[in-house]
Amino acid sequence: MRGVPWHLPGLPGRDGRETEAGRTAAGASFRVPALSREDAEAVADEVRAAALEGRGRLATARVIEAAAAAAGRVADPSDPAGREAASTLSEELGWPSALAEETLSGMGRSWTEDALHRVVERELGGTAVLDGWTDEGAILPGRRRRASGPPLLFVVHAGNVPGVAVTAAIRGLLVRSGVLSRAPGSEPGLLACFARALTAEEPALGRSLATTWWPADGGEAAWDTWVKRAGKVVVYGGEEAVRGVRGRVPGDEDLVAYGPRLGVAVALPDASAGEAASALAADVCAYEQQGCVSPRLAYAVGSDPLELGRRLAEALEEEVARLPRPQPDEATAVAIRSARAEAEFAGLAGRDVHVLGGEGLAWTVVVGGEDPLLTLGLPRLVRVHGAAGVEELGRTLGPLEGRVQTVGYAGREGLPALADLAARLGACRIAPLGEVAWPPADWLHDGRPQLLPLLRWTEWE
Amino acid sequence: MERRDRLNALAEELEERFAAWGRDPRPWPDDLFGELALRAFELQFEHVPVYREYCRRRGADPASVDGWRAVPPVPTAAFREVELTVAAPGPGDLVFRTSGTTRGGGRRGTHRVTHPDLYRAALRPPFARFVLGGSRGRAEAGRARAGGRPAGEGAGAGAEAIRDHRIGSLVTAFEEAPDSSLSFMCDDVLRTFGAPGSRQLAGESGPDAGAALAFAEGCAADGVPACLLATTLGLDAWLRELEAGGTSVELPAGSVIMDTGGAKGRDGLERDDVLRRARSALGVPPGRVVNELGMTELLSQRYGRVPGRPLLEGPPWLKTRVLDPTTLEPLPEGEAGVLCHVDLANAGSAVAVLTEDLGRMRGGALEWVGRSPGAPPRGCSLATAELLEARGARG
Repeated sequence: MRGVPWHLPGLPGRDGRETEAGRTAAGASFRVPALSREDAEAVADEVRAAALEGRGRLATARVIEAAAAAAGRVADPSDPAGREAASTLSEELGWPSALAEETLSGMGRSWTEDALHRVVERELGGTAVLDGWTDEGAILPGRRRRASGPPLLFVVHAGNVPGVAVTAAIRGLLVRSGVLSRAPGSEPGLLACFARALTAEEPALGRSLATTWWPADGGEAAWDTWVKRAGKVVVYGGEEAVRGVRGRVPGDEDLVAYGPRLGVAVALPDASAGEAASALAADVCAYEQQGCVSPRLAYAVGSDPLELGRRLAEALEEEVARLPRPQPDEATAVAIRSARAEAEFAGLAGRDVHVLGGEGLAWTVVVGGEDPLLTLGLPRLVRVHGAAGVEELGRTLGPLEGRVQTVGYAGREGLPALADLAARLGACRIAPLGEVAWPPADWLHDGRPQLLPLLRWTEWE
Repeated sequence: MERRDRLNALAEELEERFAAWGRDPRPWPDDLFGELALRAFELQFEHVPVYREYCRRRGADPASVDGWRAVPPVPTAAFREVELTVAAPGPGDLVFRTSGTTRGGGRRGTHRVTHPDLYRAALRPPFARFVLGGSRGRAEAGRARAGGRPAGEGAGAGAEAIRDHRIGSLVTAFEEAPDSSLSFMCDDVLRTFGAPGSRQLAGESGPDAGAALAFAEGCAADGVPACLLATTLGLDAWLRELEAGGTSVELPAGSVIMDTGGAKGRDGLERDDVLRRARSALGVPPGRVVNELGMTELLSQRYGRVPGRPLLEGPPWLKTRVLDPTTLEPLPEGEAGVLCHVDLANAGSAVAVLTEDLGRMRGGALEWVGRSPGAPPRGCSLATAELLEARGARG
């Protein structure tokens, strides 16, 4: 791989350092330094010292400005940093570069200075409480207080939407922590691109962020050292990864976990099937349906699911024509074929199941089927079902309580009832289709504020 | 001719040809295979409505399908949804079921076999040739047993089989597992090819380590070559018991093991490690441990006889193509893709089957890469089964 996928301030220079070899699922190979316990300590020391030094020297507004400038460059395909980021992402994920650029510029919408200020404003009433003692603001008024994250945050990425590693690092920097990051093996390089842009923008902040990768079954020295040194550990990933990290962190209060969830789309009775389908197709195709917000199940409430499925098929065809998509790997292709075959033969056998599929396995829509909750985690594959009304939909979705990230909707008829249902299911948000894949910068990620779980508060009585 | 009669006629012809190959294992001319495959396809197109519609959707019918490579293959996933049979179901049918997989939502596939004799005819000669070793292997075994008496030619479909190995099966008996095609096969070869003393070594709950040890010791004491049939997992489990007890048996020369499954890393074990331990505990060298690749959806099997190289051989009535899993176009030699089998023994169900196995051709031989592992997890969006399972696990 061309880009350097690590950024380790304070790493002692040493001749003949061993390296760790990695390979992304798309086949891009890369190398990172193998960290000894001493190396991991040295990096943690440097990042911690830089973060604490930054607290004395830089206002949070400057942190926001610098982080937004660096992230903005990474998201901008006309900037050399953006070109490096897009080509790194494209190579790591096996994505056409246009798709990588589109994903980065979409993520970049929540990395702007305005967006970051919105997050701080919404959760903390402004930056004052991060910069010093204050008795103003929206949170806990009436007594002087200040807040900051721990000097060191350790962020573990085991699987996420491309770009989330940057978002997570920025959140850590906003609460004035030094950030140690174990990058995702699927795309280790993007955060390093951001770190280099950040260093160019504000060197002290660049030294407040370290990122590297190690294999799932290795990196014990780094694991142990960084877990011990960090005041809090943040993990993004599947259930197994989250469990693994939970087992390493001594106290529950020291762990902030973002586990797997899924998105659900609902076409309400008055929705235009065509418009709902177009908006849904855009949400499905955004960053290859890899997000916890990404819709995998769609329900036509009070309307014909086959009509919605057909229109969705047309819209997906247009989406894949608009922007080239990566070919599925062998295992994914086999799994998509299997899902299609099952649905097709169920239909041939007389059951009410229809499968619509694009050339080259580009997209798949399955309408009907016995299990209205079945999804398979396959790219650009949506299952569409019917529901007589929102009440029936509630019974169907009941088992997913606590596992729904976003309920996307089209139409207005019955919307309040659907919103109530989303709340009952513990969904984090309800949003119009077409906006499902791109939550606002200040959204409640996994139903929680973004900065508050990272903060420690001190009140001056 | 009625459909059952036409199928019977084809099945009888196939049985004869399979047996003939057992006596004289020469390759078949491609046009013979093609002609028989197309006859099977025509029957299936005509008499399996679901398959006919499947073909029509792909623009294929007997007029347009001009060779065995053009026969639309039935994906294995289809067996989870429908029973595909040319003949109407009957009381003498065998009904085999696959194990449920996560990918299939835990549902099991069904393969109804309306012509059990065709299955028997398809499984016996390849077993004799690739496991018992054909004429050469049987000759060795015969010498070991009878002080040099060479075994004759011709382990065909039945009575003429030379019973020079004492066969012990660590696979659950067919009586206990009547929906297992592997159990049926093991029982059948045990009865057909087993020397006196051959026996079942698995009970209801799996391999019986004590019985297996007694069997092995009996073979060693009597100087009769053993043929052990096991899943790789079952063999591994038995070897562990032997190792735990510090027991080993030197099986007579000519002994052989047929293990099934146990691809690299699958089931949490390495087959090479099992082979090394089989030599140490039973005295059977890796070159005498034959890996069988069979699947419920196919009535013919392939066998791997080269240690450390997953190259698979099979009878001439089973041909395999390696296809691009995305486009289903054939792949060139050396490139891994999804395996598509055309198996004439499946004349009564689906002659062409598209699997979820990956493999490649090497020097004209098939190298099995393994069962497709399922799509790798991507991002933070999981299948609902995993989401629900994870929630259940947390209680």
